[in-house]
Amino acid sequence: MNAALNRRDFLGTLSHGMGGIALASLLGQEMSLAAERPVTERPQAHFPPKARRVIQLFMTGGASQCDLFDYKPLLISRHGQTFDPGTGVRVEASVSVPGKLMKSPFDWRQHGQCGRWVSSVLPHLARHVDELAFLMAMHSASNVHGPASYLQTSGFLLPGFPCAGAWISHALGSLADNVPAFVALPDVRGLPYNGRSAFTSGFLPANHQGTLVHASAAQPMTHLGPPAGATQITAASRRDGLALLRELNMAHAGERPEDSRLTARIESYELAARLQLAAPELLDLTGESSATQKRYGLDQPETADFGKRCLLARRMVERGVRFVQVWSGHGGGGDNWDNHGDIPKELTAAARKMDQPAAALLMDLKARGLLDDTLLVWTTEFGRMPFTQGDTLGRDHNGGTFVSWFAGAGIRPGVAHGASDEWSWKAVDGVTTSYDFHATILHLLGLHHEQLHFRHGGIDRRLTDVHGRVIREILS
Amino acid sequence: MTPLLRAPRWIGRRGLWGFAVLGLAGHLAGTAAADFARDVRPILARSCVGCHGPEKQKAGYRLDVRDLALRGGESGRGAIVPHQSQASPLIQRVTSDDAELRMPPPKSDVPRLTAVEVQTLREWIDAGPAWPDELAGATANPPHWSLQPLTRPVVPGGGGNPIDGFIRAKLGEKGLAPAAAADRRTLLRRLSYDLTGLPPSPEEAAAFTGDPDEHAYEKWVDQLLSSPRYGEHWARHWLDVANYADTHGNDHDYIRPDAWPYRDYVIRAFNDDKPYARFVQEQVAGDALFPEDPQATVALGFLAAGPWDHTLMVTVRADTVDHRSAQNLDRDSLVSATMGTFQSLTVHCARCHNHKFDPITQREYYSLQAVFAGVDRANRPFDADAPTHQARRRLLAEQRALEQRDPALMVTLKSSETRRQIAAAEALWRCREEAWEPWEIVSALSTGGASLARQADGSWLASGPRPDRDTYIVTARRPPGQLSAVRLEVLPDDRLPQRGPGRWDNGNFHLTEFRAFAAPAGGENAAAPLGFRRATADFDESPTISAAQAIDGKNETHWGVHPRYGEPHQAVFELREPLDVVAGTTFTFLLENQAGAPGHGLGRFRLSARGAGLPDPAPPPVSADLAALWRIPAADRTPGQQEAAAVAWLKEENQRALAALPAPQAVYAVTRDFTPDGDNFRPSPQPRPIHLLARGELNQPGEMVGPGTLGCVPGMSSTLGIFDPADESARRAALARWLADERNVLTWRSIVNRVWHYHFGRGLCDTPNDFGKMGGRPSHPELLDWLAVWFRDEARGSFKALHRLILTSDTWRQCTSGREGLATDPDNRLLWRQQRPRLSGEQVRDTILALSGRLDLTMGGRPAVQFVSKGDATFMSGGNPAFLDYEHFDPDAPAARRRAVYRFVFRTVPDPFLDALDCPDGGAAISVRGVSTTAVQALAMLNDPFVIRHCEHIATRLTATATTPEQQAEAAFRLVLLRSARPGERTVFANYIQHHGLANACQMLLNSNEFLYLD
Repeated sequence: MNAALNRRDFLGTLSHGMGGIALASLLGQEMSLAAERPVTERPQAHFPPKARRVIQLFMTGGASQCDLFDYKPLLISRHGQTFDPGTGVRVEASVSVPGKLMKSPFDWRQHGQCGRWVSSVLPHLARHVDELAFLMAMHSASNVHGPASYLQTSGFLLPGFPCAGAWISHALGSLADNVPAFVALPDVRGLPYNGRSAFTSGFLPANHQGTLVHASAAQPMTHLGPPAGATQITAASRRDGLALLRELNMAHAGERPEDSRLTARIESYELAARLQLAAPELLDLTGESSATQKRYGLDQPETADFGKRCLLARRMVERGVRFVQVWSGHGGGGDNWDNHGDIPKELTAAARKMDQPAAALLMDLKARGLLDDTLLVWTTEFGRMPFTQGDTLGRDHNGGTFVSWFAGAGIRPGVAHGASDEWSWKAVDGVTTSYDFHATILHLLGLHHEQLHFRHGGIDRRLTDVHGRVIREILS
Repeated sequence: MTPLLRAPRWIGRRGLWGFAVLGLAGHLAGTAAADFARDVRPILARSCVGCHGPEKQKAGYRLDVRDLALRGGESGRGAIVPHQSQASPLIQRVTSDDAELRMPPPKSDVPRLTAVEVQTLREWIDAGPAWPDELAGATANPPHWSLQPLTRPVVPGGGGNPIDGFIRAKLGEKGLAPAAAADRRTLLRRLSYDLTGLPPSPEEAAAFTGDPDEHAYEKWVDQLLSSPRYGEHWARHWLDVANYADTHGNDHDYIRPDAWPYRDYVIRAFNDDKPYARFVQEQVAGDALFPEDPQATVALGFLAAGPWDHTLMVTVRADTVDHRSAQNLDRDSLVSATMGTFQSLTVHCARCHNHKFDPITQREYYSLQAVFAGVDRANRPFDADAPTHQARRRLLAEQRALEQRDPALMVTLKSSETRRQIAAAEALWRCREEAWEPWEIVSALSTGGASLARQADGSWLASGPRPDRDTYIVTARRPPGQLSAVRLEVLPDDRLPQRGPGRWDNGNFHLTEFRAFAAPAGGENAAAPLGFRRATADFDESPTISAAQAIDGKNETHWGVHPRYGEPHQAVFELREPLDVVAGTTFTFLLENQAGAPGHGLGRFRLSARGAGLPDPAPPPVSADLAALWRIPAADRTPGQQEAAAVAWLKEENQRALAALPAPQAVYAVTRDFTPDGDNFRPSPQPRPIHLLARGELNQPGEMVGPGTLGCVPGMSSTLGIFDPADESARRAALARWLADERNVLTWRSIVNRVWHYHFGRGLCDTPNDFGKMGGRPSHPELLDWLAVWFRDEARGSFKALHRLILTSDTWRQCTSGREGLATDPDNRLLWRQQRPRLSGEQVRDTILALSGRLDLTMGGRPAVQFVSKGDATFMSGGNPAFLDYEHFDPDAPAARRRAVYRFVFRTVPDPFLDALDCPDGGAAISVRGVSTTAVQALAMLNDPFVIRHCEHIATRLTATATTPEQQAEAAFRLVLLRSARPGERTVFANYIQHHGLANACQMLLNSNEFLYLD
């Protein structure tokens, strides 16, 4: 039969008005069933990539740059004074009245060969600054969690747009046929701001949305197996039932040979079975040595959750997941990085949960050689103000400047790009945005951010909207 | 082997790493347009058109119109030399190292073209350049198809359904013929799902296939169209487009408890076959255009249906750029929802600049924002009951007339009838007001420790501590005679907060209970309580905070006067039976504030008594202001006082009538009048000023723009003709009329295409929300126009008539199989066979309930919550979506049994089962649903607790009549697939049932393609 015609028929039945897209696969994988197909038909990078996979650590709530990485002596000398940047620009706080300038309550030291300043709340990461490349002057167009989180996950301030992981799944698929391309690991305390929209595929086909893995739940993945009470379902009933189903579907498809969706659906059950088989091993940490578990902090209550998810992230990229997102903190409450009330107390707690596991992940990836083709990214939705929130010891949101860092494949270690002003209030030199951030990730994966687009609502949409510049200053 | 995994188009065209095969693009018929649009045009638009485009034509050159671009500018040289990029000045200029020559100029802020971009331009020129007609630019072309005048084409062929005439004519041109009609079983299944979203029962299928009536099919069409299930199913389509959900979306995703009346409105509109023009008008300005119809106000839920940023609008300070930006984006979403839905245009693309592809200016865009500049999204009250609605409207109109002293009203005030009414009311009041006698007070003290001091007028003033709980004990006497009522006056005083009459900071008090006792002389221990039959006040805070609550025996309820502080009020307590007071009787009154509202004691009060009984029913209490006027003897009143008294009385009568109406319901909609939420989210008394924003930036406001609309619709003006700029609803009303106008070609083309899309899985134009240049082109433009005119002029906007026309066409009734047209028309754009849709998530869920016999067909009302959440109470007042759990929701709970259209749609935490089956998540409006085939979907169909539990129910249901495994296999096939099992199938299924049970067998049938796809 004529494959080309069938292909068009197949595509024609898809919606979203797309003509040709990376239909990729049912899970978005690169390799499955590939042997029979010409190489050009597989999802491909635009050019040889430096990175084959990405782990993103996302600090939800707005990690305070001026209490972690952005050292400002002026805040010490002007501590307690009224903030007057003298630029004629109105000082705006999101939900509060600007208070007085506040120095970081933590001790600061320079670390590594590169001499990066890191505050005392991140003792573990501080040891590895020579591996990291910092963006010291990121700017967000929003001061508010919802839009700013959307911007940093999907490149748009509004809901409805695909997240970076979904774009990458769409473009490249997964590296194996038994794992999803895009996995999100939310904090045990709950989903980040914007809920599941933080991992949405937006207008891209639904198979590119982030697969949610609740690392500590009894059933970490929805629908991975039948519910506990369904005793009539056994391994044998499933095995025989799926054989029966396949037979029924094959006969049905055989009478409708022109409709390739029918065979695609038959194959989707095979992929589902592979996923079901692979998942228990993937999620089982008992095979990890106790030394490894300890390095990730699994033995301590504060670090156990984030540590477990960092370790899972490593196992996932090892097994072919393309993009893993590990969330630190959940939406709402001071129990994340949204430290409006008390920086010394709240930020110390949030940092402690993240610091050791993140450092362990970095070192583990390196030790296993994975860092050569894995990109590790640490980010947040915005920064915080150099002054207090009213009379408290907290800081309000600041889209003016925040810090992210990259490590691993294609990254020049030990560098820092950009600088905020002397207050850590606004990004001034080497300013970067979510667009540049995403353009750089895509670039490392071998993708031109301007050529990765999808027609929606009359516009060819991109992860980088109509902006974006690859931040070559941090590339090796 | 059928290839499944396909590269994206950009891979196929570009080869592996770059642009090696780009040059070929121009030679491939049909792909050139995409290349120009996709690759070249964006470069020109970004780097060149700013100075060489519609706004500026530096050096007389523009690059947005094909003919002008090829011709060149003032130099007289052609800027683009076909097939010779090296010789083309365009390439020379973008690659020049000479700062004087190079484009974009180095001193401009437009960055230099990258090597990749230059290469794209070179290859484009060398291969042609191919610049397709439809993108050739505004000045060089007739209007785009969707903007051409709408005329009624002649139907090709003779007789029959006109749809078939158009379809056959096109097929004939390509040498194709329509497929055979589908068999009756297939047809009934397809028809039933198409109209109602539910399958026919096996009995219905049998009846239909055996019906000898040649009009059996038409009868079924009519029967299904008159089923209430029709409205439920078609409303779901509309709710996709409106982007309806029960939460706001965004970071905290608070719930919208009152969104659902709009969902019910849409269902009712489809079931009632509301004419489309009216449907359009109601959803944009029903309040203004059809004020007598309460449902027309509910229709405004359309404008509010999409996501709304609660944090930015409510939490973030109103004086920040973020907040103003949110207001701008809020209006943007109203504009894009309205114009995308009713006009199929991407007007929102003109927010930052003139529309790059369609004839929509930025100014027109902001004029549309101005239409919505007076509204916000908030709850809007309405009376579901029409008589109540009309009564409230009339009373409110009277209230306004009274407040404004409407001249016409003043005339009626002087009518003898009105004067007689008022005089009678005054006489009644006088009878209540007069004949009160002071008590002889023996003592007054506070149990809570406040000081009570007697004042010259016989009243008592409280001062000192403000206890949390307090009772004033007043002991009094009165001369022998009858006692029928006790009056408590609460009085203002400068020494009280807000002048009282209460002691709390705002001037209020809580009188939780008023009790009275009478004790004979010398018999203080034999005090008997006095029962009251009635307590009335001149002012009650609300029906549940009224004087009656002070004699209900409950400490939790009270009388209060918020917000009428600083003025006297009175409550009259009437004894159940008049009491004959004998000499020496001691009365004790308890004035209690015992509910724990700290400091809410009475500030200044006075007690009096009355011998003669009050008339029954009690005369209505009057306000202190009116009482003051009526206390002036009639003969001494000035005409002004007389009029003021008359107006005050009528107002109070009016307010009483309003208060007596049933409480209104609320719908989440747009409104200019709502209760402020905190300091930041407040209504705007006037429509907000709208400025043209250069580059869409708030910090660059340009000229002010008034309300208006688009100029590109032929025969229609972009002026809306609004006379009073302060009249908010006039703006929306004018736009609504413009949208529903018979001359608006987009309106009528848009809707018939949308309906076609839901019947065939694809519109005649395959981008139902985009009829612009970047959208699809109609496969059958004449048919689209014919349908638009027919729907408008003959069907008068009746959806049911349109469905009937489409469903009775041979085109729709074709079978889905057939391969005859594959070579000529592989996409089946010409409809040489019917499309084969997959059931939607809602259809799957509803069907499973129907098959298990557990579908609850209750219509409407609050959404069915089909998940559990940690602490339902906090969740319903806006909890954290992190704690929603669909997996542990009991599939047997009553809420599980409702149709999916009634489920609670939680924007940021979608139902994983329905999500896997491509139900929209409420992030963005959906005009075409995705239909994905994924492993996640397979797992959902295999493992979702709802599916599994209901398969058990289906099995139980079947076992009632089928006992042997063979019978059960047969019954399951009949129920799920509406057909008999083939002998081989029956054997293997019976064998499976024997080993693993009927429920598992049913689940496999539900997982089959035959079930999920409609032939």
